[in-house]
Amino acid sequence: SCSRAKDVTMPAKLPVNFFSTRSPVIDLFRGQLDYADQLRQDSEIVLYFFYAPWCGQSIAAREEIEHVASRLSDQVLFVAVNCWWNQGKCRKQKHFFYFPVIHLYHRSFGPIEYKGPMSAVYIEKFVRRVMTPLLYISSRSKLLDFLSNYEPGVVGFFEFNASPQPPGYLTFFTSALHSLKKDYLGTIRFGVVTDKRVAEEISLVHSGTVYLHRHANTSLIYPKDIMNFTAENICKWALENREMLIRWLRPHGGKSLLLNNELKKGPALLIFIPYNPLAEIHPLLDEITKVALEYHKCNKSQGAEPDLQHVGDSDSPAFDSSVTDAHLKFSETFPIAKYPCCNTVVLPQWHSISRTHNVCELCVNQTLGVKPNKVHVPHCNFLEIEAALDSFYLQEHTFFQVISDTIECSNFLSFYSPFSYYTACCRTVNRHFLSLISSEKTIFQTPKVAFSSHGKKDNTQFSIPHIEDRNCFIPDLNISSTNITGLSCRTNKTLNLYLLDSNLFWIYAERLGASRSTHFKEFAAIVDLKEEVHYVLDQNQSLVGPTL
Amino acid sequence: SRRERVRAMFYHAYEHYLESAFPYDELRPLTCDGQDTWGSFSLTLIDALDTLLILGNVSEFQRVVNVLQEGVDFDIDVNASVFETNIRVVGGLLSAHLLSRKAGVEVEAGWPCSGPLLRMAEEAARKLLPAFQTPTGMPYGTVNLLHGVNPGETPVTCTAGIGTFIVEFATLSHLTGDPVFEDVARKALKALWKNRSDIGLVGNHIDVITAKWVAQDAGIGAGVDSYFEYLVKGAILLQDKELMSMFLEYNKAIKNYTKFDDWYLWVQMYKGTVSMPVFQSLEAYWPGLQSLIGDVDNAMRTFLNYYTVWKQFGGLPEFYNIPQGYTVDKREGYPLRPELIESAMYLYRATRDPTLLELGRDAVESIEKISKVDCGFATIKDLRDHRLDNRMESFFLAETIKYLYLLFDPDNFIHNDGSDFDVVVTPYGECVLNAGGYIFNTEAHPIDPAALHCCRRRKEEQWEVEDLMREFYSQKKTKKFTLKKAPNHGEGESANDPEDASSEKAGEKRNSKKSSHSLLSCPSQSFNSKLAVLGQVFLDNT
Repeated sequence: SCSRAKDVTMPAKLPVNFFSTRSPVIDLFRGQLDYADQLRQDSEIVLYFFYAPWCGQSIAAREEIEHVASRLSDQVLFVAVNCWWNQGKCRKQKHFFYFPVIHLYHRSFGPIEYKGPMSAVYIEKFVRRVMTPLLYISSRSKLLDFLSNYEPGVVGFFEFNASPQPPGYLTFFTSALHSLKKDYLGTIRFGVVTDKRVAEEISLVHSGTVYLHRHANTSLIYPKDIMNFTAENICKWALENREMLIRWLRPHGGKSLLLNNELKKGPALLIFIPYNPLAEIHPLLDEITKVALEYHKCNKSQGAEPDLQHVGDSDSPAFDSSVTDAHLKFSETFPIAKYPCCNTVVLPQWHSISRTHNVCELCVNQTLGVKPNKVHVPHCNFLEIEAALDSFYLQEHTFFQVISDTIECSNFLSFYSPFSYYTACCRTVNRHFLSLISSEKTIFQTPKVAFSSHGKKDNTQFSIPHIEDRNCFIPDLNISSTNITGLSCRTNKTLNLYLLDSNLFWIYAERLGASRSTHFKEFAAIVDLKEEVHYVLDQNQSLVGPTL
Repeated sequence: SRRERVRAMFYHAYEHYLESAFPYDELRPLTCDGQDTWGSFSLTLIDALDTLLILGNVSEFQRVVNVLQEGVDFDIDVNASVFETNIRVVGGLLSAHLLSRKAGVEVEAGWPCSGPLLRMAEEAARKLLPAFQTPTGMPYGTVNLLHGVNPGETPVTCTAGIGTFIVEFATLSHLTGDPVFEDVARKALKALWKNRSDIGLVGNHIDVITAKWVAQDAGIGAGVDSYFEYLVKGAILLQDKELMSMFLEYNKAIKNYTKFDDWYLWVQMYKGTVSMPVFQSLEAYWPGLQSLIGDVDNAMRTFLNYYTVWKQFGGLPEFYNIPQGYTVDKREGYPLRPELIESAMYLYRATRDPTLLELGRDAVESIEKISKVDCGFATIKDLRDHRLDNRMESFFLAETIKYLYLLFDPDNFIHNDGSDFDVVVTPYGECVLNAGGYIFNTEAHPIDPAALHCCRRRKEEQWEVEDLMREFYSQKKTKKFTLKKAPNHGEGESANDPEDASSEKAGEKRNSKKSSHSLLSCPSQSFNSKLAVLGQVFLDNT
């Protein structure tokens, strides 16, 4: 056929507006990067949205950006730049591997790349953090609020009695901005105290001191004499020494080992809650924080409590760090109360129709044998529990028959040590209130599925009797889950706590057994990657302190 | 919805083909006319036929069947690619033949063992048979449809051009009763297997007379790709353990020598040294193939690598230099190929990971924004600036659109899990069809594996099956029967209704009982695969 037409090609279509002309976002759809840079002079805070017009993610993020812009356009300049068109300056100067890319500038500081979820509330929260990287802590109660947060807090004390600015303040301010570059989830919060009396509450005497608050371990003062007082160093120091009682997991969607790395650290409690980063208060989160603090509290007289009490109690003398140190030593010599090591075991269920489950609390008791006077190591050995489990499963048939509302206990000797024996207390739990389900690899998957669909039916059809059930359930639970205080110190197997926003990551909850269509997107599960089991907190339970 | 956008894309291209290009093979979207490319078969129409049914358009399907019956002639003096003619023409006609009853076409009494489309497929395939008359049994790459192999024809054929026949040819043999097709296809496969290197790899071009490797680059992409694909698909379609074990051997060597960080590179087939650190657009079928053997974790990890390349350019360049992170000179085009979308479709059936729908969304946006022109969709000549070329390959309607649509249409009949089926009376007895488990040929033409059991009169086999059925049911009554693990993908395996398909299931059981149980069934998934969604991957699963 006509061969000349073979060589016909067509250049790419010319770029057109990506944002509507009425949008508060300035759309440089011809990629005018030079003009974009000029615009930066006009505003203290600038957000750049680099996009490619063909990119699905850019198109999806466009609305979110518009939404944020409509709320903040009086304080922040929003500039969108087409960084794809090959005639444009942006494409010629920048080399992106994905779109969109969001950069923020605080005056001359930047770019700070936003890498969080492409959702308006999260973007707005981050922009607000860039606008005010330092929180001004004006009073004692504000300090208490600031420090009681579950996320690590860094406080700088700067006396503004002389003009222009106290030495080091700008560095501290920059370090707060700097942290947003590294720690794009914004987990570390920076605050500044200017009042001497407020500063004294956390033993800060000298202006220019920087303090990192920690709940479970002692808090730290930035070691000026060892490290230079630079923004990078402060940020690095805070990142390295921060305490992560609870961590948010926010997979970015690309290939990532985040869950792999976190879950390989050991068993993890994943808590799913709907989260609005812009909300002023987070009651549910406060509740969870309390639980986390309890869990990490190793001794009643140690850790977070004294700090916080101290803050609340204005009359006490100021602690300096050496006092806290001494305090710590004291508690170490204090004999740790002896707790048995226990493990809850749900017996495998052979009849999927059966509505009952046998739950056993398996404990290791060391009655005989030589015990050291001082126990330094946490004395519940993981191997012991393993061994106990082994022996337990060998005698499983004994417990298997038990169908009883009372708790029946029996002791059996360890195979490995004549000095210790195991106690197993078993009871039968109606499947209605089953709090723990265990899925062991493949064999039990089928019954598990059968159960969850069964549970769903219950929710909808018998919702009223279920409320009554719940009353009976709570005492049940208290039997199996004893006081959690200091639990992290008692067992060798620490449970790591993680939060996930169920608005964004509900799919992980579904994968762990949560139902797809539930009104309350709250869910909690313990995942143990190594043992290949996971335990699910009954979804009918509200997420509150005692149940957790 | 996205599904409806894909449907609109199909009709935009299809209607302009009919209007401006038919009866030529392909539409030229920039000049709004047509040209012959792979022969003179109205190729786009044949290729798009079963997509019409998947979109639910039975009336147009019926019209096209009539048009093809009258219009297409294979007695023509045309040099045709043996490979392309097989996958597009034979494959397209076979799948249309098997789907025609579902599409409401009046079928003749002997269907599915006879019918006009089957006769056309057989006729086309017979035109290809002379190519297989070589000392090695490996076919020539090109054949003249009227005169057979041209004197002086080059004996150099690519590996895929030798090993991509078993799906169509075995189906033809089973339906027509003539074993010649399956025999030549198997012989060619075995010749390749025999000529693999000591380290277990094959190159990408071989001399079919002397069996010497002419191009010794080993990889999973261009020149080799569908050979591996057909070992797996042939194994599933024919429940053939030998083909599967061949693939698994290759798979080991491929992992050992070519895999780095979930990328697959090109290596020298004898030494295993890296020759090209390049990712090819054609290689993107591999995650889909891995999902068919149940290796979902590795499939997702590789898929996520490939997806980053799409995000960088809005398409996959023919070659992408991995260390440089950029396209390769002269290989910057994207002719709207389906492979990455195909993998997304398979993996979505297996994992329901929303990331896969996101790739689908990106593909729809990219193709519409970049390549849509007044007369259809144009090949992207250069992904760096999105310049367009005057071509719309027939696989755009046969594959790209089909897989996109199936990704967004979870209830499509193609995804049937066996809960639905048809019973057909044939001269050889009753026969179950359309129960799902479709095998897509490498041009995305679905073949119903159940149809392969319809057209043979073999009394002993039938009795054996009936015995097994009885045994199956008595077992079920007395013992608790461990059900075969549900296939974790919609496509590869035929999971049929227990009542009517027990013959097939019992047959499967019998087959797999004999040797290792796992060869033809998928392994159970690892514990952490539960959480391997939205980009999360886990280490040491393998």
